[in-house]
Amino acid sequence: MASPIALGRREINQLRRRPVKRLALASAFAALAWPAMAEDITIGFAIAKSGWMEAYDTPAATAAKIRIDEINADGGLLGRQIKWVEADTKTDRQQSARAGLQVIDEGADMMIVSCDYDFGAPAALSAEAEGMVSFFLCAEDVKAGIQGVGPHAFSGSVLAAVQGATMAEWSHAKRGAKTGYVLLDTTIEYNKGICSGFDWMFPQIDGTQIVGRDTFKNDDASIASQITRIKALPQEPDVIMLCSYIPGAASAVRQIRAAGINSLILNGSAVDGSYWLDATPDLSGFVVPVQGSIYGDDPRVEVEAFNQSYEKATGARPASSYAYPGYVLLDLWAKAVERAGTLDGAAVTAELEKMQDEPTAFGPRSFTADLHHQNVAEMQIVEITNGKPAVADSWTISQPVPLDVLLK
Amino acid sequence: MTNLAQLFFDAASLGGLYAMAALGIALIFGVMNLVNFAHGEYIAFCVFALIVPSTDAVAVMFLGRAPALVLIPVVLALGGLIAVASEYAVFRHLRRADPVAMMIASFALGFVIRNALLAAYGGRPKAISLWPGLNTPVNIAGASVPLLQLIVIVTTLLVVTGLALLLKKTRIGLEMRAAAENFTMARLLGVRANRVITGAFALSGALAAAVALIMATQTGVADVKMGGQIMLVAFIATVLGGLGSLPGAVAAGFLVGIVSVVLQAWLPLDARPFRDAFLYTLVIICLLLRPQGLFVPASAKPRV
Repeated sequence: MASPIALGRREINQLRRRPVKRLALASAFAALAWPAMAEDITIGFAIAKSGWMEAYDTPAATAAKIRIDEINADGGLLGRQIKWVEADTKTDRQQSARAGLQVIDEGADMMIVSCDYDFGAPAALSAEAEGMVSFFLCAEDVKAGIQGVGPHAFSGSVLAAVQGATMAEWSHAKRGAKTGYVLLDTTIEYNKGICSGFDWMFPQIDGTQIVGRDTFKNDDASIASQITRIKALPQEPDVIMLCSYIPGAASAVRQIRAAGINSLILNGSAVDGSYWLDATPDLSGFVVPVQGSIYGDDPRVEVEAFNQSYEKATGARPASSYAYPGYVLLDLWAKAVERAGTLDGAAVTAELEKMQDEPTAFGPRSFTADLHHQNVAEMQIVEITNGKPAVADSWTISQPVPLDVLLK
Repeated sequence: MTNLAQLFFDAASLGGLYAMAALGIALIFGVMNLVNFAHGEYIAFCVFALIVPSTDAVAVMFLGRAPALVLIPVVLALGGLIAVASEYAVFRHLRRADPVAMMIASFALGFVIRNALLAAYGGRPKAISLWPGLNTPVNIAGASVPLLQLIVIVTTLLVVTGLALLLKKTRIGLEMRAAAENFTMARLLGVRANRVITGAFALSGALAAAVALIMATQTGVADVKMGGQIMLVAFIATVLGGLGSLPGAVAAGFLVGIVSVVLQAWLPLDARPFRDAFLYTLVIICLLLRPQGLFVPASAKPRV
């Protein structure tokens, strides 16, 4: 017996017909169009334009649009201009799936989805169902790719574990860190990724030791007992690997420094930006790995050039380095399309997977048939001293983070 | 010994914070059988009142600039004001409604406040530098205690004593207790419902503001979601204490805070991420053993 929610034959046929209809419609339009005038390429943004995720999606989406404008100004892609359509996920998983379908219906040739895996995946899955390439704006969890969404999903950012591993190797090499303490905020997967990268790299280095670890939750009203545990150690650790994000990270740093703990605090890129520094006045000894510096001191001129285009487009410089992956992903996708000579998802994916140390404004990027993320990347080390962030160094980890660590 | 003293201060300060939040919820439940789920949003509202509304990433202090002597009464008044305003705009019209309908309305109200904050301030958490000096640790009985923790403990004791005096010694307090015990009977005896209910909302809002000031000082951030977790804990504490019992809410608030800190301190590392699961398992066990709550008011007993 058919259950009341099972699809009827007519509905199934409707579903079957949909892509065909779109194709038919597209070819009808193509036939109508003037033969010399090529049809525009459409990029579908299924991103949060409202709700709390908006603050993270908008900067990266703006960066992607800056790259689109640059490509259009240079004559377009495959001789065609790029335009975009947008649908709001409202920072909601159900709405995300709907937003994905909406941009597909509006003729998207490629889809860009929310920063976060949880909020981007429903939309990305609808792209995957059509065999369309999708890019997460700045997801840093390995699932936002082949392993979670499917073979046509990519991310423009650098994996969280790479950030943690970068902190481990750099702090030992440049600051002589021998003892480390791991403070993990268990609220989201991203945090666990940072800590697993640190946990993989730090003990590999000779003479180092993880002297303790603890967990907390991002919205804990107080981390007093976690601090008590650090203070109970016979010796203050050289570094504290803090795997968290704002607001919890800002609150933890405020409480750690207030308690008189002076260890170097290491973090993931999520805490980049000076907007939260008022939470701990005159903060020092706080280090963040980033893809590029928003502070005007990046050693690469292209990064500062981008910061200025961003300021021209929005009236303000980027608030954190999370704008950059939007620019990078569009750059890489456009190159792959140019090489493939088509917008076809499978062909573009194949070209993307051939990229080995492909130069971008924010450092080389690689994709393989197994991994649509960066498991090694050049990162700028931003250190905050007396409340002022500045690039202190640049670091690339000595070996890529293995897949089993990424999947932990 | 040192460890125990440290544990005591850590636990008492978190417990105090939870107790104040729970008291805010219990007060309103006492007079109108409403579990006000917008309470967490009152907290967030009061924190955001400290900064200038703008969607820029960098926060500019607004009320937060004022000296403490002005800031504290103004924020407390603001908390009272939003609570009274929501009573006037929403709950007053639902007074005869089913408690479930009122609860749903409070969810809706919370949603409206949260989204209004999102619209005015943007989704990115903001940094607030409110009295950073209060986080400086002082040494007491071999424990290193941030000044703020002491202030929280003392404030909680003051608020609870003050409230007890208010309820026991003043006319409005007497009316509130009468209303909490039997609202219809109290009205028949000449207690003015509007006055009592408005008073309860004002007190509850002021308590939310006090929690907001403590959280802002402790964490240094303003986030639209920041009231959510504490509201949940406070609600659980009111249920655990026995719905409608003010001393019960305070005691249970303290208890939840203390157990949470003790679990964090004593659980093995692998179990620590599941701290809250352990905490709420204990809550379930308590409620199974005493479904009416740990500290039940006389009024909760059936009288026939």
